[in-house]
Amino acid sequence: MPYDAMSDQNDEALLAAYAAGEPAAARALTLRLAPKAFSVAMRMLKDRAEAEDVAQEALLRLWRAAPGWRTGEAQVSTWLYRVVSNLCIDRMRRRRGGFADLESVAEPEDPAPSAASALQDTARGQALEAALDALPERQKQAVVLRHLEGLSNPEIAEIMDIGVRAVESLTARGRKALEGLLAPRRDELGYDDD
Amino acid sequence: MMTDRKMSDDGPLAPWFDAARDDAPLASGDWLARMEAMALAEQPVPRAVSRPVPERRSGWLREALGQLGGWPAMAGLAAACVAGVWLGAVAPSDWTGMGTTDSLISAAEPASAYDYAMLGL
Repeated sequence: MPYDAMSDQNDEALLAAYAAGEPAAARALTLRLAPKAFSVAMRMLKDRAEAEDVAQEALLRLWRAAPGWRTGEAQVSTWLYRVVSNLCIDRMRRRRGGFADLESVAEPEDPAPSAASALQDTARGQALEAALDALPERQKQAVVLRHLEGLSNPEIAEIMDIGVRAVESLTARGRKALEGLLAPRRDELGYDDD
Repeated sequence: MMTDRKMSDDGPLAPWFDAARDDAPLASGDWLARMEAMALAEQPVPRAVSRPVPERRSGWLREALGQLGGWPAMAGLAAACVAGVWLGAVAPSDWTGMGTTDSLISAAEPASAYDYAMLGL
């Protein structure tokens, strides 16, 4: 079956076709899901090689889970985002050697000088990405999924295994911390709003 | 494009989020090709449609059955057994009277040995 004939099928149907041995489903799902997995991993880790490793590991787990996939239990993309996010957080914790405090964000001169100095030479998007790096992992995860990947709060709640209100709280605190970090750059970057 | 993708709760950071969304990290073609190859390599092989040939097993019961003529012969034997049991269960009332009545005997054998002797046969 050609890829075009499968492009209108949802992820779950494609995964069932994949498990049944349909090669076109393997190609269609890869084209649909691999860029998403890579994008989230890259935003979380800010390292291409690591992001590729993490996304590959998550995809490998998906392919191996395909034969036993239970229809209607979870959305394929949500499941994948969850695996990617968890793998990213594991790597970030190993990298940082622990969990960063929100206080470190509120006071840029504290343990977040790298984020503050990175803001000096970056443009808008890169400045935000750099500021995101200074957030605690769970806040960063919630903000990335909500504001950069465009997922809904219920989807993020499922991915992060928390309630919707906890997601709202994390994103609100994340936005507030980002505003504090980016405030000194507002005039310099030339705009306040569209 | 930026306005279309703006999230309703971006708040004062909307221009920053817009800029970051437009600067989305893209996967390389080489990596995507490797991911496709991996997906195909990990894909379960579809099961063969042809029915497996049953293994021929041998044993004393199978050999005895074969010598008797196989399952058709066994079916005949079973039918004969059932008929025998049925006759055994039903016969007493139906067959006793028939076997002991003289008229029935003469009906079955119209001439006796005495009759044949008298006739010189």
